[in-house]
Amino acid sequence: MLGLQALSDSLAVLAAEGEGGGVHFPPIDHIVKWPAAFGDGQFWAFNKIGLISLIAMVVPAIFFFLAGNKAKLIPGKLQNVAESAIDFVEQQIVLPAIGPDGMRYLPMLTAMMFFIWVGNMFEVIPTAHMPANARMAGPAMLALLALVMFVGVGLKHNGLHYLKEALFPPGVPVALYIIVTPIEILSTFLIRPFSLAVRLFANMLAGHILLVTFSVLTITLTNTLSPLIVAAALSFPMLVAFTAFEFMVAFLQAFIFALLTAVYIGSALHPSH
Amino acid sequence: MLSLIGILAEEGAKTINPVVPDDVGEIFWSVISFFGLWIILRYVCLPPLLRVREERAAKALADREAASAAETQTEQVRRDYDTTLSEARAQAGRIVEDARATSDARRAEAVRQAEAEVASIKQAEIASIDAARAEALTSIRSDVSELAVSAASVVVGSDLDRAASQATIDSFVDQAATKR
Repeated sequence: MLGLQALSDSLAVLAAEGEGGGVHFPPIDHIVKWPAAFGDGQFWAFNKIGLISLIAMVVPAIFFFLAGNKAKLIPGKLQNVAESAIDFVEQQIVLPAIGPDGMRYLPMLTAMMFFIWVGNMFEVIPTAHMPANARMAGPAMLALLALVMFVGVGLKHNGLHYLKEALFPPGVPVALYIIVTPIEILSTFLIRPFSLAVRLFANMLAGHILLVTFSVLTITLTNTLSPLIVAAALSFPMLVAFTAFEFMVAFLQAFIFALLTAVYIGSALHPSH
Repeated sequence: MLSLIGILAEEGAKTINPVVPDDVGEIFWSVISFFGLWIILRYVCLPPLLRVREERAAKALADREAASAAETQTEQVRRDYDTTLSEARAQAGRIVEDARATSDARRAEAVRQAEAEVASIKQAEIASIDAARAEALTSIRSDVSELAVSAASVVVGSDLDRAASQATIDSFVDQAATKR
């Protein structure tokens, strides 16, 4: 905390130098918006986020394909890692959140977790430094999919009883449904997917901004001729520490997104629980 | 630092609203990529891994059951072995007892036969001795009778009647034989 305070004070001084020098942070649209490589203005405009999304599809697909291509009873190293990954999704997400009935959603949840994770990892991959999910497109699409999935699962397995359970929770006095039902509509069908998307997006965007901030600080402080150059000794370790932290965040956010999606599907599958 | 981040956010707010997905291309490629990955994992990549995992689990279960069955069988074999061993031991005991009894009977029979044979031999030898003695007595009685009559005839100077003296001589010889 002392280090952060000292850094904050140094930044204040640097910022006060104004136009003649100091820290020049790039505008936010410079660090999250990317020009299209082709198809500009079209619905299929392909930019850096599109490329990362494609890589986030290709990398897990190749990994699982190579692992499962010549799968044997006695697994090799790659197969062992892949099976451990599947076991993780099964044991930590599917079974606790949905139960044995949820095994049919294992491919979707595995795809979801790995797609988000690989997309997030581009935050800390040198030369990329841009998590795909720091843009709202990916999280919004996945949250919408989660909404469609859990509503669809609820309707498929429980019919209109699912909507009745969701909108008119049992045990609540009838008069209170005037208040409770709108709240349930909001919380279940709007806030759930919105919070899913915003949680992932905001965490990745915040981490991205944090890394950009400390990168800019480190570069600026290293190049300054003032005594504040000593502050670079703080900003660079912080940059390294936050980079390591973002490794964890990248995985954690992917796990949380997949887990919450599974929880929502589980609650739709067994609404009385 | 917080104030700077605030300034950043303020600048950002002037330019774009990051919460709103404003790039259709990004949404398009996200949808293509994610559903592509989902389909690939669902129909291509995961089935062999899940199948192998199930096969391994089934094999492990079968192996465990086989091991359990083998253990039960081993236990059964051990019990059978113990039973057979105890029966063999009992049978061996019986055989030893029978052998001992047979041996005792045979030994008793042999002893009895030997004793009978000894008794028979002894009886035969006694009879033989008695016969020899009787023969010797008869021979001695004749010799003694003749010697005594001759000696007495010399003493008295006349021939004695052998027939009349024979009873006395026989009585003397019998007494001598009895004294021995």
